[in-house]
Amino acid sequence: MLSRNFRLQKVGDIKWLQTNYNFSQISFSIDELVVLDVTRNERDTGAFCEALKILSEGCFVPIAAGGGIRTISHAHALLHSGADKVVVNTPLYESKGFIGELAREFGQQCVVASIDIRRVADGAYRAWTEAGSRCVEGPAAYWIERVTNTAVGEIYLNSIDRDGTGQGYDLQLLDQLPLDMPKPVILAGGAGNATHLATGLADARVDAVATAHLHNFVGDGLKRARQSLIAGGVDLPVWDVQLLEQHRKAQDTASFN
Amino acid sequence: MMDPRIVVVDYGMGNIWSVLSALRYLGCNPIVTSEPDEVVRAQGLVLPGVGSFRKAMTTLRHTGLDKAILEVVQNRGRKILGICLGMQLMGSHGSEDGDTLGLGLIPIPVDKFTFEEIGVNKIPHIGFNSVRSKPDAIIFRSLPETADFYFVHSYRMLSAGLSGEVATCVHGTEFLAAYEKDNIFAVQFHPEKSQTNGLLLLKNFLAQ
Repeated sequence: MLSRNFRLQKVGDIKWLQTNYNFSQISFSIDELVVLDVTRNERDTGAFCEALKILSEGCFVPIAAGGGIRTISHAHALLHSGADKVVVNTPLYESKGFIGELAREFGQQCVVASIDIRRVADGAYRAWTEAGSRCVEGPAAYWIERVTNTAVGEIYLNSIDRDGTGQGYDLQLLDQLPLDMPKPVILAGGAGNATHLATGLADARVDAVATAHLHNFVGDGLKRARQSLIAGGVDLPVWDVQLLEQHRKAQDTASFN
Repeated sequence: MMDPRIVVVDYGMGNIWSVLSALRYLGCNPIVTSEPDEVVRAQGLVLPGVGSFRKAMTTLRHTGLDKAILEVVQNRGRKILGICLGMQLMGSHGSEDGDTLGLGLIPIPVDKFTFEEIGVNKIPHIGFNSVRSKPDAIIFRSLPETADFYFVHSYRMLSAGLSGEVATCVHGTEFLAAYEKDNIFAVQFHPEKSQTNGLLLLKNFLAQ
């Protein structure tokens, strides 16, 4: 699991995550989870799938997983390790064929297009691939529209410039989206507090907001952020974590009588 | 005591792992099988699934799982819970990739959301949405009348005015979110992806 604090930073392995991150607790404060394998060189898909299994076991929300997916069997392995959707990036710009193949095999709703955007020297937005290491020729708006028209279910729009800064989303990035965007947009990159999340959600072009800022998860930061959004009138799904416990107790009492 | 022979039908489509995690969390130890003989001996069935209606029905027919499911539910009176595509497969027929007959446990067809229906909304219908259930619905027991559940689908059943229509949801238009009649239960959303709301619903099904 990695946290980006201006640069990619290693924070610990799956054991560290379970011990320090108390994932089974915070998992009740999120409504979707994105898990990415951001290894830059040779990826160990088997090890990543094992970690995903452990992570997903007590986590009852949709999970999207990805990082370096180039084959149907790789996607298949993730979907059989707890993922509900797969996240693809580089193949979006290479061959339309693979995206179509994924959609035919698992359904369009299963494919999340992760579009990494970074500004270049003249201030223009460009799409980047291969974990942000290669710039794609042509305007970002052109690529976003093109990707939208392929067989993907959702667009995960990430600002590389803001990612890990905690300074808030790049809302100007949304001007790169086609008008009448037909698919759900998840805005990512830069959220550092509940206000940032609320500002993102308040924009009509945004369907969901994502945060990878590790500090949101430490302690009960994310839980509090979520509560403050709900209190502020943001339409987030609600559930009562105590409900199941109460139900169990009521049944136990009933069985004693 | 949880039902000891809950069978999760594995026909190669869908998020079996998530469904199993949720059932195990609730203390149930489900049997996962693609064998019609195992299905026939079930005391309760869970039919999950994500993907194409036509592909799924073709697989069920090829493997004889369709007959096994009908035998267990219609002749032996065992309970069944269809989830997402699983609910749709229980319908009369589906229009995804050409018209295909369903299992016929729910006498309602399955069609794609039309643009007229959804208005400004998007297809697929993805994310948490509010489900309004009838107060006497067994699988919604202990849940508030309106509760949030997670959806991912492009096809839906519409109300046909049947008594089994126990819950609805609105995505531009009102559609059927849950069906419950005697031993037949079905939900269009994913309880295994809907936090404690979903766990409670699964628990209600298991306790039934």
